[in-house]
Amino acid sequence: MNQIASQNAPSPKVVVPHFVFGSLTWLVVSLLILFNPTAFTQHFFNPLLLSITHLLALGWMTMVIFGALYQLIPVIMEVKLYSERFALFSFVLLGFGSVLLAYSFWQFSFHSILFVGATFVVVAVVFFVTNVLITAYSSKKKNIERIFIITASIWLLFTVLAGLTLAINFAFPFMKTSNLELLKLHAHAGIVGWFIQLIIGVSSKLLPMFMVSHNLKTKKLTYAYFLINIGLIFGIISLFIQWKSGVIISVIMVVLGIFSYLSFIFKAYKKRVKKRLDIGMKQSALSFVVLVIPLFLILSLVFNFELINNLTLPLSVAYGSTIFIGFISSLIMGQTYKTLPFIIWLKVYRGRIGKVKLPLPKDLFAEKVAVAQLWLFAIGFLLLLTGISSTTNCLVSTGGTVLFLSVALYNYNVLKIIFHKPKKT
Amino acid sequence: MNTTNEKLIELLKEVIDPELMVNIVDLGLVYGVTINESTHEIDVDLTLTSPGCPMGDMITEDAKQLINANYPTYETEIHLVWDPVWSIEKLTEKGKEELGYF
Repeated sequence: MNQIASQNAPSPKVVVPHFVFGSLTWLVVSLLILFNPTAFTQHFFNPLLLSITHLLALGWMTMVIFGALYQLIPVIMEVKLYSERFALFSFVLLGFGSVLLAYSFWQFSFHSILFVGATFVVVAVVFFVTNVLITAYSSKKKNIERIFIITASIWLLFTVLAGLTLAINFAFPFMKTSNLELLKLHAHAGIVGWFIQLIIGVSSKLLPMFMVSHNLKTKKLTYAYFLINIGLIFGIISLFIQWKSGVIISVIMVVLGIFSYLSFIFKAYKKRVKKRLDIGMKQSALSFVVLVIPLFLILSLVFNFELINNLTLPLSVAYGSTIFIGFISSLIMGQTYKTLPFIIWLKVYRGRIGKVKLPLPKDLFAEKVAVAQLWLFAIGFLLLLTGISSTTNCLVSTGGTVLFLSVALYNYNVLKIIFHKPKKT
Repeated sequence: MNTTNEKLIELLKEVIDPELMVNIVDLGLVYGVTINESTHEIDVDLTLTSPGCPMGDMITEDAKQLINANYPTYETEIHLVWDPVWSIEKLTEKGKEELGYF
């Protein structure tokens, strides 16, 4: 008999700190955007943007993904997490590491603090990857979602090792390839290999589950897997040896792979039994619509269309911001409402189920606040994107302000869920 | 189906799937109920919309506690069943309506 997923769920003590650290970091990042619009209106290789990007990618996105994965791996692989202690070590190291890295980039100092921070992040990732691999090994479920998660974890390790190598190369140059090309390599290993691939693995299981979509064929996911991974390896080699045609071929392969995944998700959406989307799923739907923007942007950038030649630099920043903020951050914010209330609900009410009338997991947060958060996010992101594309500082700042309000509401709901107390009867 | 079974099915309508916000009977998750008057045993065959459903634990526990509260002299067993796999066809008309299926 299949086990019920919640029997394998880890202790909330492991999962919840990731959400708290992650959402507070996101709030800090939105403040940094608000007060430092110039980070987004100059060449992407600048200290402020490097700092903001690393805080966003590690302290917010990767942090929450780690926490959520410890809860979701038992659902997807139908097995208990190998080690909660590894998860806690990883949390502490990633937290310190991301702050130290962000501080060093802000100071544009490639000295000891940067290397300590980078080493903390690498060790945190080693703990995480070991935990995922051993857990996956003990699972009898050999599905495509599991393969995506394993591969994404390995790409994460590659990304942070590449980042550390890049930092060493900045301080003590030893590679012929330019740092800018190496930065693109590092960024895309992270964006495509880790974030997008991990999202594909988790969402292709969870979204059909949340929407109750059955009889979905996973062939499109298999195509996506091969196109993305072969394309990415090809792209990284091409970037390293500076072979432009190779980069173009790799971009086409990865984009086709992502479209293959999107068509799977669209099919799940069309076949859904649950017709009305709740607030968490609405924000998730928005992020999938936004994902189409960077796919077209990257194609335009690599083909260097005449029209956009003068816009190459702002569009590169717009490309990265759309992926990091418009797609991944938005998806995480939406999916928080699908995972965190359940985790806390189970912690608070386990043992009282069926005995008294209980609230539902969705009653743990304020829905109106979540709706306002979604609208503010959509407006803030649109302003930010327009400001970046037109290199207008005041628009970036206004976008940052609206985003800050959205993230503040998100934080309010996250804390409301986490500190939920049962009503006295 | 006899009236005792019908009463039990009616009772199980109080168990709500927290994700879908529809009761488990109208979702078609209850495959069968058996009440043995002589041995005072109740068996419920129950499925979930998906084997990995994170709410599964809560649904089965809720159903068990509810029956125990209403049939205190009976021993209740909830059997999770995966064959046949749950599908849209198992939804009642009311279930479809509540999901906005029409």
